[in-house]
Order: sequence, then structure tokens, then C-alpha cells
Amino acid sequence: MKGFRSRLRRALSKIGGTFGYIWHRGEGRFALIVLGIWLLVCIVAAFWTPESLDTSDGYNTWASPSPAHPLGTDGTGRDMLSWLMAGSGTELQIVVATCMLAALIGIVFISFTLARSALASEIAVVVTDTLLSIPIVLIALILAVPLGASLTVIIIACGVSYGLNLARIAKPQAVLAANSRYVEAARAAGSSRGRAFFRHVLPNVIPVMSVQLSICAGTAILAEAGLTYLGIGVPAGTASWGASLSASASFISIFPLTVVWPGALITIVVVALNLFGDSLRRAVDPVVNSQLRAAAEEVERGSGK
Amino acid sequence: MSNTTQGDVPEEAAQTAASGSTDASLASQRKSSRTGRARTSGPGSDGGQGGGNHNRGKWIAGIIIAVVVVVAVILGVVWSRRTTPSENGASGTTQETMTVGLKLAPTNMDIRNQSGSALDQVLIDNIYEPLVGRNAENKTTAGLAKSWDVSDDATTYTFHLNEGMTFSNGDALDSEDVVWSLNQLLEKKYAGYDLLRNIDSIAAQDANTVVIKLTAPYSDLLWSLSGRPGLVFDKDAQYDAKTEAIGSGPYLLKSFRENDSVTLERNENYWGTKKATIKTIILRYYADDNAALNAFKSGSIQVLAPVMNAKMTSSLTSDDRFVVGQGDGTDKYVLGMNNKGTVLSNIKVRQAIRYAINHDEIIASRGGVDAALGGPIPSLDPGYEDLTDLYPHNVNKAKELLKEAGYDDDNPLTLRLEYANTYGTEFGEQLKSQLKEVGIDLQVKVVEFSTWLQDVYTNHDYDLSLVDHNESHDFYQWADPTYYYGYDSKEVQDLYAKSLAATDESQQEEYLKQAARKVSEDAAADWLLNYRVTTAYDKGVTGFPMNLNQSRLPLASVDYKK
Repeated sequence: MKGFRSRLRRALSKIGGTFGYIWHRGEGRFALIVLGIWLLVCIVAAFWTPESLDTSDGYNTWASPSPAHPLGTDGTGRDMLSWLMAGSGTELQIVVATCMLAALIGIVFISFTLARSALASEIAVVVTDTLLSIPIVLIALILAVPLGASLTVIIIACGVSYGLNLARIAKPQAVLAANSRYVEAARAAGSSRGRAFFRHVLPNVIPVMSVQLSICAGTAILAEAGLTYLGIGVPAGTASWGASLSASASFISIFPLTVVWPGALITIVVVALNLFGDSLRRAVDPVVNSQLRAAAEEVERGSGK
Repeated sequence: MSNTTQGDVPEEAAQTAASGSTDASLASQRKSSRTGRARTSGPGSDGGQGGGNHNRGKWIAGIIIAVVVVVAVILGVVWSRRTTPSENGASGTTQETMTVGLKLAPTNMDIRNQSGSALDQVLIDNIYEPLVGRNAENKTTAGLAKSWDVSDDATTYTFHLNEGMTFSNGDALDSEDVVWSLNQLLEKKYAGYDLLRNIDSIAAQDANTVVIKLTAPYSDLLWSLSGRPGLVFDKDAQYDAKTEAIGSGPYLLKSFRENDSVTLERNENYWGTKKATIKTIILRYYADDNAALNAFKSGSIQVLAPVMNAKMTSSLTSDDRFVVGQGDGTDKYVLGMNNKGTVLSNIKVRQAIRYAINHDEIIASRGGVDAALGGPIPSLDPGYEDLTDLYPHNVNKAKELLKEAGYDDDNPLTLRLEYANTYGTEFGEQLKSQLKEVGIDLQVKVVEFSTWLQDVYTNHDYDLSLVDHNESHDFYQWADPTYYYGYDSKEVQDLYAKSLAATDESQQEEYLKQAARKVSEDAAADWLLNYRVTTAYDKGVTGFPMNLNQSRLPLASVDYKK
């Protein structure tokens, strides 16, 4: 129990240190602030929006911003602000589910590429490369046939595609770790292949993976907007930034302002997620992060004593 | 059932058009985002690496460029504003060429085999002419036949053709061509053949007289002959009907480019007394509404029909170069109800839905130009009567009726609405919020047209559905219990049969009127609105047809002066 608690404390301080490092730099701070606000809005919108999502005022469509509707109304006469707030929750769902699916698929494929049998690993590599060549939109279009427009389409299409990408990018790191002396030692000491994978290989891959996943998160939001525009993304009646954007897009030359709100929102959050990914990479890469390097040297020195 | 397919095809065409637009706009988006990125990345990376004077120099250069661009834009705007009045000033001369922007593109020019109103729009009255004419009020007038006699029992129609008619290739058009065209239609089951019913025989009495004998009266015969079924083709002409057309009309088909344009050129040897006014008319198809609007505003097209959403006209009405107007049509936005469904077979629920819907609000949200419609027959069809006061918007009454049907807060009613994505998501969202007020939870599903066909039209697996039934004279839907509404009323079926068998027009209208009232009283469906086409044109254009111009566009008397 004590071991667990100290390990947890160590992990927390490590995460805290990473965030501290990210916060330290301007773009990282921007990313953290934007993402923080996003989460906050998600929580608020789950319980309260300025106007009920069911209210629509047909006499007042495409209205300009006013005290009653700070961002104006859309083509159905609904409050833009309320719908964008509610949409942030949908985006969060998509992002979280996509990243989880991508991570799962990534790990499964990495484990296959490290398989004992050369054939299995070869097959995994070939399958990854082949599937990677299928565009997300095509996967989504195929999925939309049985599923119709739904969040599942976006999540599966993006999750599969990013998961394979992840496997491809993290593979060298995983192979390096799998062939290392300490894994060899662990195996010699009697640890099973699975245990060696989860205890020694996976932790080596996690930094690369977390960076990739934060970039996936940004792309997932863009994919949602794109697929919804094509009519195979978020179904009608569900609030999402992509849905608000595509509904307004047909009136861009008449009511440009209604396109600006969801468009700006998507841009800001995606930029924040990408910057977060960049900063995260810096924070966990000892070549760039001098603090990390110093800490590692300290440990080395300590063990040398 | 077979004659229903006709109405569906335009919608399908609309859908392909819509998907085309998606691709186009995606491509343009991609392009713009790429250039945008290229532009922004330049100064950003320079700013990071360069320093001191070098950096400042670049900034100054950037500012100068920005200033130049702004000044150029301002000058451009001022200059274009200044030149417009002088253009407007002259009443001018008729232009050689006029370009019209349309939305739904025909896939080919084969009017005998390819259904869809986009073909009717281009070809009828311009290239091919029907035996009986049709005017802007959707009534029959003289066409190739200058007059006709109907026997007292309404089973013999004698048509007297104009004399000296010719096709554009010089061949004479006489009763032989008429008889051949009509017989071919029935024999080969070309598009629209089912509109000619009870035909006993079609024969030429002499070169200028055609006699059609019926087995029983059919009151829609003349109207049918004024549309596609009445078109007269040259018996002796050989041509590829998919890309060419040889007819007797005031225009010739000069070129057809799929999904792009159709070019019409004046038929200098037109048989009629009045030749076409404008020499060349180009019909250009825009799948994307914004592209169409921009083309119109920039002057590359002189007429835009339709301006998809009347809300779009706000930027046009304020501009004195343009005229914006609406025309009547027969597009009925029908909220279909599954009359055989478990819940909606109860008339009280159907009535409650009709009371719950605020039609004024729906019309207002679309720009307020569409007409309210209280029953199955629109104002341009025989048997029209204003039925909008049968079910006025009344939330309390709707709630009462639902309570009587056994639904309240403890036992709320959930209904599914499924419709094709060509109509946009706004309808569903509005209905959802309006029905919420009376306690109905509406689950909206917007699907591909093919899915809709499968679920609703074929399998009747739905509660509510929304379709724009754009056909004229289409009351048969309510007299056919196997149609997807599942509306089965003996009284209505009898009345409709009587209207078809009527021997004079006022009788026909009276029966249809009674039938329409019954359908509306039974709340067999709800009619959200009667779509009215918004057309915008350059103020130099005169005589452009406004009514029904999505299915019929006679261009011969249109003038464009500059």
C-alpha cells in the first residue's frame, strides 16, 4: 500500500512537473488556458445554458448579436451562444472517445508488431501500412451506410485511422525497448512476455503516444466539422460546432457573422490542442527539456554512488 | 404507384446536385485554406528568425503591401459603384445574349425517357411544344392545336392544328407527327405515359385534325396534353436524343454540357408569328447557392431562379440594379403522417399535431414569402380552397386532444420524423421545438434520399415525414391507400373518381374541393407551406416567367435591354 502511494505521489509530481514546464512557456500557457476554459464550459453547459436548447424563434432567424442573443441566432432562430456551449460537450465526447479508441488500437498493433512470431509481426506491419492508406473520409462514408449520421461514425473512423498512425509512429520506440537489455533481464528473471510488455515496453512508448494523442484530439475536432459538413457526422438536433458551422456555411455571403463564431471556436481550440501537443513533446523529451535532463543525470549520479 | 416515381426523381436530382456542391465547396475551401496558410506562415517565421534592421525592413514592406491592397480594394469598390449608374441609365437595345442561373441540372436531354422537372424546364415551350399550351396560371391555352372541340359526353376530343407548322429541321409538323408521338408514348411507355388514361384511339382525321377517343371521360386529359405527354416529335428525324433535340419550338438546342450549361439559340425559321426576342440564351446550373448568388451579383448571370432562400434576398433588394420577385408554384411541403401507424392512426393525435404547428413561424423563418397551405391542393391547381383556418395554431387545443388520446406529462408521446437531407435540418429542428410545447418528443432523423425511399416510401416504417411534393394535379396520392401516407377514405376515393369522370371543369373543381376539404379535416397530413419561387433579375430584363418557373420556363418573349 505504501509502495503504491509513493508511486502515485511520484507519478503525480511527474505530471505536475510536466504541466509546470508547459505552463512555463507562452504557447503552452495559451493552450492550457484555452483547454481549461473549454472543460469549464462543458461542465457549465451540461447543467445550464443561457437559453434552453429546445427554444427556437422562427420570427427571429439569423439575427445579429443583441443583449438577448450575444452571438445572434441561427437559421432556426435558436440562440447561437447556447448551442455553441452545448456543442463543446459533444466535441469533448468525440475527442475523449476518439483518443481512447486510438490508444487502444495503437497498443494492440504495437503488441502485434512485437510478437514472437516473425510472420505475425510482419502481417501487423503490412496491415497497418495498408489500412493507413485509406482516407478517413472514405472509412466514414462506408460506416455511414449502416450507422447513418452519428457520433459513432466519427469516433470509429478517426479512432481507427489515428490508432494505426500511432502504432506506426510509436513502433521504433517500442522495438528499441523490447530489444533492450533490461527487458532481456526481466525475461531471464522469469517475467512473462505480457508482463514485460506492460511493465517495460509500454512506459517507454507512453510519452510518444501522449503527444500523438493530443494532436489526434485537434484533428478529431476538425474531422467532426468536415464529416458533419458532408452530412455523415453529428446527426441533426445534436449540438456541435461542426453542425453550427455547416448550417451557417450556406449563408456565408449573407450572414458571415454566424460562420465566424463556430469557425473561430474550432480554430482556437484546435490550435490550443496542437500547441499543447507540441509543448507536451518538449516537456517529455529530455533532449529539449533541460530540467528532465538534469533530473536524469541526478538519478544516474545517485545510482553511480 | 407507378406514376408516383415521377415526383421523386426531381428530389433525387436535387440530391446529386447538392452533393456536387459539397465537393466543389470542399475543394474551394481546401484551396483557400492552403493559400491562407502559405500567406500567414511567411511573416511569422521571418519574425522569429530575423532580427534588427532586416526584420524591420520586412515589416515595413509588409505594411506597405497591406496599405496598397487596402487602397486598391477601396478604389475598386468606389469605381465599380460609380460605373453602375451610367449602365443603368440607358434603356438601351436588346442584348444578343442573356445568361440565366438555375439550380437543378438535367442529366441528359432525352425527354422521352428521362424524368425530372429540370428537363421540362429547359425543353418544353422552348424546344419542344405540346399539343395544348399551358399559361402562367397553370391553365390550358392554345398550343400546337389552335382550338379543340369536346363532345357532350366528354369522350371525343377533336383538335384543330395550326397550319404551316414546321420543325427546326424544316420538316412539316402535321397530324401525322402528333398521332405518331402520342401513340409512341403509350406504346413504349415513355415518361409521363400514365397521365394519359382511358385512351381508346388516337387518329388523324386530316392533315390538320386529330381525334382522340376515350373509353370514359377523363377530366385531366387537356391538362396532361399541355405537359410532357402532349409533346410532338418529328417522326422522320434521326438524332441522339441524349444530347440533341429537334422540335418545333422558338429555340434550338445549340449545346448541352452536363451539370454545367445548356445553350439555346433562336430558331430563325420558327413557324409562329412571333420569333424569340433574344438570340442566345445560356442556362447555367449552379449546385451551390452561394456561387449562384455571387455570379448574379457580379453580373455574369442576368437572372437567378431560384434564389434558394428568401432570406438571401436582403442583399439584393437594397441594390437598385436588381429586381426581386416571387412566383406561385405547386410545391407542397407535406408533413406526411403514417395514417396506418400505431399512434397516428388515431385522428386525435394527428389533429393535435396540426394544432401544435405554427405555420406562420415556419414561413417567417424562411423569409416570409411562402404561402400558407391548409390542404392538399395549392392555389394554382383546380379545386383550391383556402383551408388554413381548419387547424389554426392552438397549443391548448393540441394538449387537450393529446390528453383525450391518452398522452400527458406522465405518459408523453414520442414520435419519429424522418426526411431526406435535401430539405436542410431547419425544418426538423423547428418542428421539434414546436411539438415540444405540447408535450410531444420529436426524434428527428435526417437521412440520405435513398434511405428515405427505403424506410418511408417503400416500407412505410415511419411516424412523420417531410417531402416537397412539387407536382401539379397530384391529388391521386390521397385516393390511393397504398401510398406512403396510408390514408384510406372511401369518401375521398369516390370524390376523386367523380372528379376524373366529370364532363365539365366546374364540376371537376367542385368534387376536388370537397375531397381536399375532407382530407384536411381528417388531418391526413399537415401542409407546412406552399413554396413560392424567388427569382432575381437584372432590371434590364423583362417578361421573365415568375410562376412555376422551376418546371416550365418559356423564354421566347423574355427581353434583356442594356
